[in-house]
Amino acid sequence: MFSVVIALAVLTGYLAIGVASGDVDWLALIGDRTWSPTNGAFGALAMIYGSAVVAVLALVLAVPVGWSAAIALSEYLPPRLAKPLRLSVELLAAVPSIVYGLIGIMMIRPFVAALGDVPGGDSLLAAGIVLAVMIMPTIVAVSVDALAAVPARYREAAYALGLTRREVVRSAVLPQARSGLRAGVLLGLARALGEAIAVFLVVGRADGRLPQSPGDFFSSLVHPGQTLTTKLAGPEPTLVGTSGPHFAALCALGIILLALVAAATAWGTRRAGAGAGAGGGVKRGHRPSVWLRTERDRLATAFRLGALLLPATLLVGMLTILVTRGSSALHPAFWFSSSTGAAGGGVRDQILGTLLLLATTALIALPLGYGAGVLIGAHASPKTARVLETLTVAVGGTPTILLGLAGYVLFSTAMGWGRSWLAGAIVLVPVVVPVIALTTAGRIRSMPGELTEAALALGLSRTQYIRSVVIPYTWPATLTGLLLGLARAAGETAPLIFTATVFFGAPALPSGIVDAPVQALPTHIFTLSQDSGAPEAITQAWGSALVLVLITAVLLSLAVALRNRFEGARRWTT
Amino acid sequence: MSVVIAQPRHASSLLAGKRTQRGVAAASALLFGALLTGCAGSAKADSSTALQASGSTTVAPVASDAAEALKSKGLKITVATQGGSSGGISQLGSGQIEVALSSKPISDEDRKAYPKTDFVPTQIGADAVGIIVTKEVADGGVKSLTKAQVRGLFEGKVTNWKQVGGPDLDVFVYDKEPGRGTREVLDKFIYGEEGKAPAPPQSDNYAIVGGNLETRNKLESTPGSVGPLSTGFIEGHDDLVAVALEGVEPTEENVASGKYAMTRPLFMITDGKPQGAAEKYIDYVLSPAGQKLLPAHGYLTREQMGL
Repeated sequence: MFSVVIALAVLTGYLAIGVASGDVDWLALIGDRTWSPTNGAFGALAMIYGSAVVAVLALVLAVPVGWSAAIALSEYLPPRLAKPLRLSVELLAAVPSIVYGLIGIMMIRPFVAALGDVPGGDSLLAAGIVLAVMIMPTIVAVSVDALAAVPARYREAAYALGLTRREVVRSAVLPQARSGLRAGVLLGLARALGEAIAVFLVVGRADGRLPQSPGDFFSSLVHPGQTLTTKLAGPEPTLVGTSGPHFAALCALGIILLALVAAATAWGTRRAGAGAGAGGGVKRGHRPSVWLRTERDRLATAFRLGALLLPATLLVGMLTILVTRGSSALHPAFWFSSSTGAAGGGVRDQILGTLLLLATTALIALPLGYGAGVLIGAHASPKTARVLETLTVAVGGTPTILLGLAGYVLFSTAMGWGRSWLAGAIVLVPVVVPVIALTTAGRIRSMPGELTEAALALGLSRTQYIRSVVIPYTWPATLTGLLLGLARAAGETAPLIFTATVFFGAPALPSGIVDAPVQALPTHIFTLSQDSGAPEAITQAWGSALVLVLITAVLLSLAVALRNRFEGARRWTT
Repeated sequence: MSVVIAQPRHASSLLAGKRTQRGVAAASALLFGALLTGCAGSAKADSSTALQASGSTTVAPVASDAAEALKSKGLKITVATQGGSSGGISQLGSGQIEVALSSKPISDEDRKAYPKTDFVPTQIGADAVGIIVTKEVADGGVKSLTKAQVRGLFEGKVTNWKQVGGPDLDVFVYDKEPGRGTREVLDKFIYGEEGKAPAPPQSDNYAIVGGNLETRNKLESTPGSVGPLSTGFIEGHDDLVAVALEGVEPTEENVASGKYAMTRPLFMITDGKPQGAAEKYIDYVLSPAGQKLLPAHGYLTREQMGL
């Protein structure tokens, strides 16, 4: 638990010290649109506007489809079909965001350019679409869980009243699942707000543009913009040093971002019982009309199954693109030779670097996450546990770009490590720890009472109880959490760019800690996709993306296999 | 719900699998440990053979090629471009790297920001920044621009190529990120030594780009676009044209003689006189073999600049 608190303390400490190091004019920051460090102007309104527009666009596109698809999966499809589809959706939710960024550059940018006759295609709209594609699996996965948790007796009772399937879903299932559905949206929102790299690649990063009129609003969608995260992922954090008004203003942006994301995450993972759950079903005095009941039922069926097509097409389409374009990754030489020049050779060193980062992260995160999980699940009173859990969730939802910047200031600059693989691994720890902690705590809570009672009857001390009862009981869940967390960490790009990786020339395995960078797949894809229009570089980028997706998929499959074998039930944990 | 149902199955498998799984966990922990200690063998990379360079995307291709050539001699040099020239200078100032790649000279502000660092720049060659337009715009009549016209374009006042004698086509500006050497050369041309650029324009058709390859990529894919870019990067790309400034073409002679306004020196900067690996690296770039790398990327050698 300690680690979670430390991570939060370091992060907020970095931001707070940053803000304190120079005068921040908060009014100008949130009310002014001019950002021009050379002229001493720090107005972030355009970035706040960009973040808001991009996140809302993503939700508007992803939520209706995501909800409908989730309903179709849970209520319409036979289990034999629904089960593998649910698994695919979960896998899709774990595709690294850098891969979505690559798809954004190669597919969505040209699409927007053609759609609105917009030069270039870099725009808020392109960013919104990329994010929508990215968060849709999250929304579907969380919503399916919420729907599946509705007891079958509600449905049976409703059918017994002679309701059509649409009416059953609408009046019996949805009200019960409401808080879970809302959680899906808010978690999606948190992810959309905090995503840096995928947006960075397609948004255009224009400072200071705001629409002047309602008509202008629509035109602003198809033109370049800037968000809070893209500002922080740009060059400015490396330029500003660690004090002064410019640094303070950037830290203030970080605080705004952190506050927004934390609010969305905390609200989204709020316990269902808190308010909406109890009287949810009765609240809306909805009176079903008898007008065209069967027709409307058929229409709803068609619409919901149709909505399922979109994620399914996305999945198939993405796989096809990855496999056809990334065909270079299908040759063994690509995996086992090192890269040459800007865009030749293989990605052996990048794979090794990625694995080194993951292994180190795992080694540090496992004890920390387990400790936190045991504390939440076994030691704390229900009230404290809830507070701790919220804290843990907040760390898990923290935009990784902020972790990267805190790590950059702390390790690379203040401690003089330069780019260091260890700094990169440490920065990834807060990504993994919460997942381990939450899966472990959840598992401990599900422990049958007899186990604890028997242990206490035998007179075991607290430590003995943990060692011989809790650990054997929970470790599959802990390991599942570790694998899920690592799968997420494997695709992180933003924090690594600032702390640990270089594009060219780093040895496969570093020979020290300080000034010892590595190469990693996410950075490789980022640089190749951003910098070069050369066909061989693009092939290389797709190949690397396929390798990265395969690594993530292996980690996830292991996690799913473990979970199915030992827990007999699934828990959604991200 | 189903968790409870699954308990009996779990309990039996728990007992059966316990021993082997502990073994696996222990083995993997050992493996991680070995990997960690193996890598942490020496705390600091050997500074006589390992070197980190970072900065300008303009200098990076030359720096990478030189690093590749020195690999066979046992020198390990990494090259990164996060943050461009200013990024390199600030990373050198804060002691993160040994060599900063820069396409702009060290400024008084840099020295003031890092008083403990003794910035020693070594000029390795030179380069011209072009105002690059698409072929469509150039063919439509934009062959040369005046300083005022360039200023109008980048401040968002010129919004259609008609205004500067070109085709009836909207202007789309690709500006460089702050800290990029290219942007500073442009600022110096438009605003002089002391002046500084105003805040970014409130224009629809205005986007920000980072590195040189990204800039070229986006210029090529955007009709009516204009952006500052090292002329070396458009060689072999016939869809892009570097316009003349005040009537002076960015030819090799005009750049070498300094007649072309947006000429800039390219540097490798060290803290104090280059020593050890840094010295070997920079000496190589200054050697005849190293200097050949400059024209290969469209830049001018020290000799061409009369150094």
